[in-house]
Amino acid sequence: MIVIVDYGVGNLRSIQNMLARAGFEATIARDPQTIAQATKLILPGIGRFDYGMDSLRARGLVDVLNERVVGAQVPVLGICLGAQLLGRGSEEGGGGAGQGGRAKGLGWIPMDVVAFDRRRLVNGEKVPHMGWTDTTPAPNAVGGAGALFAGLDAPRFYYVHSYHFACDDAQDVLCSARHGYEFASGVRRGHIVGVQFHPEKSHRFGKQFLANFAALGTAAETATSAAAAAGAMAVGA
Amino acid sequence: MEPSSTSPASLALSAARSYGAALRVRTGVRDEPPLAKAPAAPPAAARTQPPRVCAKTVMDDSDPDIVFDADGVSNWWHDYQAAKAKRPDADRQAALLDATLTEVREHGRGKPYDCVLGVSGGVDSSYVAYLARQHGLRPLLVHFDNGWNDELAVHNIEKIVKTCGYRLHTFVMDWPEFRDLQRAYFKAGVLDLEVPTDHMIFGALHQVARRHGIGYVLTGTNFATEWLLPRAWHYSKRDLVNLQAIHRTHGETPMKRLPKIGVWQQLWYQRVQRIREVDILDLVPYRKTDAMRTLEREFGWTYYGGKHYESVFTRFYQGWILPMRFGIDKRRAHLSNLILNGELTRDEALAELAQPTYDPRQQMLDKQYVAKKLGWSAAEFDEILARPRTAHAAFGTDARQRKLAELAIRTLHPLARLVRGTARK
Amino acid sequence: MIRVRVIPVLLLGRGGMVKTKRFADPQYLGDPINAVRIFNEKQADELVILDIEATARGDVDFERIEDIVSEGFMPIAYGGGIRNTDQCAELFRRGVEKIVVNTALAESPQLVSDAAARFGSQSVVASIDVKPNLFRQPRAHTHGGRKATRYTPVELARTAVALGAGEIMLTAMTREGTFAGYDTALLAAVTEAVDVPVIANGGAGRIAHFVDAVVDGGCSAVAAGSLFVFAGKDAGVLITYPSEAELAEQFWSRIDGTVVH
Repeated sequence: MIVIVDYGVGNLRSIQNMLARAGFEATIARDPQTIAQATKLILPGIGRFDYGMDSLRARGLVDVLNERVVGAQVPVLGICLGAQLLGRGSEEGGGGAGQGGRAKGLGWIPMDVVAFDRRRLVNGEKVPHMGWTDTTPAPNAVGGAGALFAGLDAPRFYYVHSYHFACDDAQDVLCSARHGYEFASGVRRGHIVGVQFHPEKSHRFGKQFLANFAALGTAAETATSAAAAAGAMAVGA
Repeated sequence: MEPSSTSPASLALSAARSYGAALRVRTGVRDEPPLAKAPAAPPAAARTQPPRVCAKTVMDDSDPDIVFDADGVSNWWHDYQAAKAKRPDADRQAALLDATLTEVREHGRGKPYDCVLGVSGGVDSSYVAYLARQHGLRPLLVHFDNGWNDELAVHNIEKIVKTCGYRLHTFVMDWPEFRDLQRAYFKAGVLDLEVPTDHMIFGALHQVARRHGIGYVLTGTNFATEWLLPRAWHYSKRDLVNLQAIHRTHGETPMKRLPKIGVWQQLWYQRVQRIREVDILDLVPYRKTDAMRTLEREFGWTYYGGKHYESVFTRFYQGWILPMRFGIDKRRAHLSNLILNGELTRDEALAELAQPTYDPRQQMLDKQYVAKKLGWSAAEFDEILARPRTAHAAFGTDARQRKLAELAIRTLHPLARLVRGTARK
Repeated sequence: MIRVRVIPVLLLGRGGMVKTKRFADPQYLGDPINAVRIFNEKQADELVILDIEATARGDVDFERIEDIVSEGFMPIAYGGGIRNTDQCAELFRRGVEKIVVNTALAESPQLVSDAAARFGSQSVVASIDVKPNLFRQPRAHTHGGRKATRYTPVELARTAVALGAGEIMLTAMTREGTFAGYDTALLAAVTEAVDVPVIANGGAGRIAHFVDAVVDGGCSAVAAGSLFVFAGKDAGVLITYPSEAELAEQFWSRIDGTVVH
């Protein structure tokens, strides 16, 4: 059962709808009991880092998430803020890199979340980075970018963020994008995946990506890749 | 165009025929079925025997009026041979086309448009636009937006507009009113859920023609791909009495803005305003496969799958509701037409019929979409779809009005000719 | 090649969708649910949906908005009648990506800063409608363009950014629906004054105008209403959206080297 975690932030319905269009059923849940039964998790989110972590804690979800992800190794996909929460912490709300602002993250991936380096935005690029940006899967991502990017030829996704990942280990970088400079726009460590972009707002590219995640580790995974290769990425629906 | 169509004898003759025929240029097109009896609602589901299928076409006994001969060949095959024999041959067709085009052009001289052309983004109407361009006509393209356009249909219309440079007029149906009418039809449990759309298109087309002083409406109706249609599989689009009765019983919003068109109004348009429908696709050798290829080449047109699948509603109606609720697979009629037209073999048609009408996952998504648009939850929609079916005629028909109209034409037509002369714009 | 965002703007009114001309004479366009569905099939970058009757009506129709936005798998911004951040949270929960504030900028700035603080600046778009006053000086207007404020567009834009808005949509009221081109002077004045992305709106008649909005107006994104809902000037209603190839060839390739993103 795919569970989309409702912790008070994020575009839950869009994710659910898009998965439905791709042929996958997902449940939106806010209670630890339902989350405890998840065979895959999606952690959405928009907004401030500390608000996100506070919400997770206030709803008593940190323990069950740790149990599922670290303990039971259930695949998890963090989206936007949800992805940022996978690391040690964020510069947002004060505090330097590695100090995690006012709230620490879930700490599942050794990375920090840092503000865009304005000195490197040499062409007057604005912050937040907002818009459709070409995204390149990293060739040496641990666990492979292959499965998640199957059927995605030169994808672009919708981004809207002011902070981005800074991984300790280059092998944890799943994919990258360019905004003034190239930055890590996706992370992956085995079954733990995080993307800065919004697949649920990225049309056919997002739908394929979500379908790939939903099919991870199942027989459907090979089927999805095959279907994708056969051109199942038709426009629409 | 029949040169004698305005003579007294010919008018009387046409008035005595089925009403539908009187409104069309006489090209041998099959008339609107006379409504002598109400089409029976076909029994649903459980068959004790496998369906009996025509040996030459793919029509089967889901058509309750089908008759098989000793060789298992249905009446459709035989009727088609007879109907085809009556149709003009290629030379006559060309002559009729020429005469028609000349008349349309002559009549439109000095005016901004010489004809009205309804475009839906589908093959037939798009091909009519192609013909109009080939023959130098100056159409006003009219599109009816009933709120169910599929993107490909809109794309195709855009291609035609941009390639031909024709002016597009869109008649936007008032959605709250139209939705209410559609809901009423669902609640009534009647068969033909396309009547609201088709009736209003008919009315809107005439309204637009009148407003612009245009005398000719080019239609996409054609013998080649539409002749075959069992009476029991549809209901008259023009019957306003039936429509209003259904709406009175099950509707909630008064129909103020929808372009309804009743018997008398039809008469007015035809006799006084002299707006004529031209089934132009009957004046050329029309083959759907060739037409589609031409459109792709000339306009960058794209095929949307299935006949009439340029509307999401029609796709769901023909692909899911008709088969599931009424036991009718309209593809049988379409494919049989293509067999009769020599465009498809029976085996190919059977292979097609063995497939689902369209992608089952898309069917479920469409079902959710239709329910949402009509303002029903999934459960409410299921309940409505499970209600008992009712024959259209149970709500009353316009048969009496049509008889009166025919009488009026016969007795008053000399007067009409006088009025016509002065009412003409 | 930077993909500058191209954004259709849909107005809700009269029980459906409408299009105004110079903020007047609303013309009925039909059902918004199907329109969004078509824009989705056409892979439109983003949508802005504004309920032009909501502020007067005094409420936000969540059910209806959800029905509409659930047809779009791209970012959708909604504006009209928003009065508190709980409404914003509800909108986000139902699939809206950003909220648009207009009247609130002048009359309830607290709402803007609260929303920005709670949801982040990138979730808040300030929509500024501009029309010249009697002395030909541009003034921001609220209440669907009906009420003039004393603010110049630059003043209100600066205020909006200070309150926390992450984006500005700037609409030239007298150009709206005319197909005559954007007011690039107005756009330039504002883009020079603020750091956040500015979306051009009002007057787009063809793709070449998009180029002007970026090159002359300094905008980061372009929006259009009539261009995407009519088959052409003085033509019938038809939902259109340029293809990627058209945008690449006629728009993005012609703004290379311009400071924008």
